[in-house]
Amino acid sequence: MTTDKTINLEINGRFFQGREGMTILDVARREGIPITTLCHHDALEPVGSCRLCMVEITHPDWGGWKGLVTACLYPIEEGLKVTTDNEEIRRVKRTILDLLLARCPESEVIQKLAAEYGVTTTSYIKNEVETTCILCGLCVRVCEAKGCRAISAAGRGIGKAIAIPFKQPPPDCIGCASCAHICPTGTIKYQDTGNVRKIWGHSFEMAKCTICGRPVMPEKQLAFEADKSGLDPDYLRICPVCSQQKTVETIRSSFGISPVESGDSVCDAGVTPVAHR
Amino acid sequence: MACSFRHAGSGLLGISRIKTFMFGEGKNQVLTCFQCDEAACVKVCPVTALRRNESTGAIEVDENRCIGCGLCSIACPFGHMSHDANGGIAVKCDLCGGDPACAAFCPSKTLEYK
Repeated sequence: MTTDKTINLEINGRFFQGREGMTILDVARREGIPITTLCHHDALEPVGSCRLCMVEITHPDWGGWKGLVTACLYPIEEGLKVTTDNEEIRRVKRTILDLLLARCPESEVIQKLAAEYGVTTTSYIKNEVETTCILCGLCVRVCEAKGCRAISAAGRGIGKAIAIPFKQPPPDCIGCASCAHICPTGTIKYQDTGNVRKIWGHSFEMAKCTICGRPVMPEKQLAFEADKSGLDPDYLRICPVCSQQKTVETIRSSFGISPVESGDSVCDAGVTPVAHR
Repeated sequence: MACSFRHAGSGLLGISRIKTFMFGEGKNQVLTCFQCDEAACVKVCPVTALRRNESTGAIEVDENRCIGCGLCSIACPFGHMSHDANGGIAVKCDLCGGDPACAAFCPSKTLEYK
C-alpha cells in the first residue's frame, strides 16, 4: 500500500518523486523509463520470478556499495540512486535470458527478447520437455485475483510446472480464460467452438444471450459472477451487442418510432460487434 | 471513423468506440459510453482496472491492470463496453482524455463536448 509521504529518488541521473510504498518499477513505468518484465502485471502482487527487471541501486549513505535488485519488488526510499541499464545489468540479463532460452527454446517471445540482448542460442543444455512456460506464475496469481484458485505451481526443481490438481480438470475453474489472456508467452490456450469453451481439460457449456443466442460466457462463470456481484444471473445473460440494441430501442421509442419486430435481433440489424467473445 | 483513427490508427468502423444507428426518416443517433455516476463496469471489475479520470469525468480502462475476464462488457446495461479482439483487453470511450476526436470531426456539430 502506498502512503501520502513523498520520496525523492534518482533514476538514470534524473530526479523523480514517488509515494512511500511504490516500487522502483512503479516510478520508472510512470516516467516512461523502459524496464523489461515478463512476470509483472499492474493488477497483481509482484513476485519477482522472471528476474528481468534487474536494476542497480546505490545510496549516498551506503559507502559506495552497489547492488542488483528486482525493480518490481524493491520499495523506493529517500535518496536512492537507480541505474536501469549498464554493462553489469546487461550481463545478468543475458544470463537470465540464456537460462530462459534453455528452458523454452521454442518460445518466440523469449527468442525475440533474448535476441535484443544478443543471445541467439542457449549455452546450456536445452530442455527436452517441449514447453513455452517460464513458470512466472502470472496465471496462478490472476486466478487467485478472480477468486477461483483453480491452478497452481506443482513440483520442485526441473519438475516444477503450472498444474491442475491430480492432472484432472480443476474443479474450481470457471472457464473465464483470464489465465490464457495474461500468459506472457501464450502457453495457456483455450478454444471457443460453438457453444463450448475448452480450457484446462474442461468443456464448459457457454451461456447463450437470451436475445440473439450467441455465447456470452461459460455457464459456470456466469453463476460465479452472479453470486459474487449479487446481480441477477439473467441480467448477465444479455450480450453487449444486444444491450446496446436495447438502448437503441429505448431511444427509438422516445422518438416515437415503433420498436423493431421481435426476432429482428441486433446481429441482423447492421450493428457490428467489436469483439463478440 | 475519427474514433478508430485516434485509438487504433485505422479507419475501421467496427473498432470504433462510438456507434451510429440509423432509425430511418432522417433520425439517426450516435451512442457511446454514458460515463455513468454509478457505473456497473467499475463495480464488477475484480482488479479495479476501471477508474474515473477526475479531470475529464470519463471512466478509463487501465490497460496494464485489465486481466481480460470480459465481465465489464457483460455488466454494462447499455452495451457500451467491448473487448480488444487480440489481447482481450477491455475497450471503452475515454473521451480522448478531454479532447474527443468524434466531436472535433463532427461536421454538423451535432456532437459537442462541454
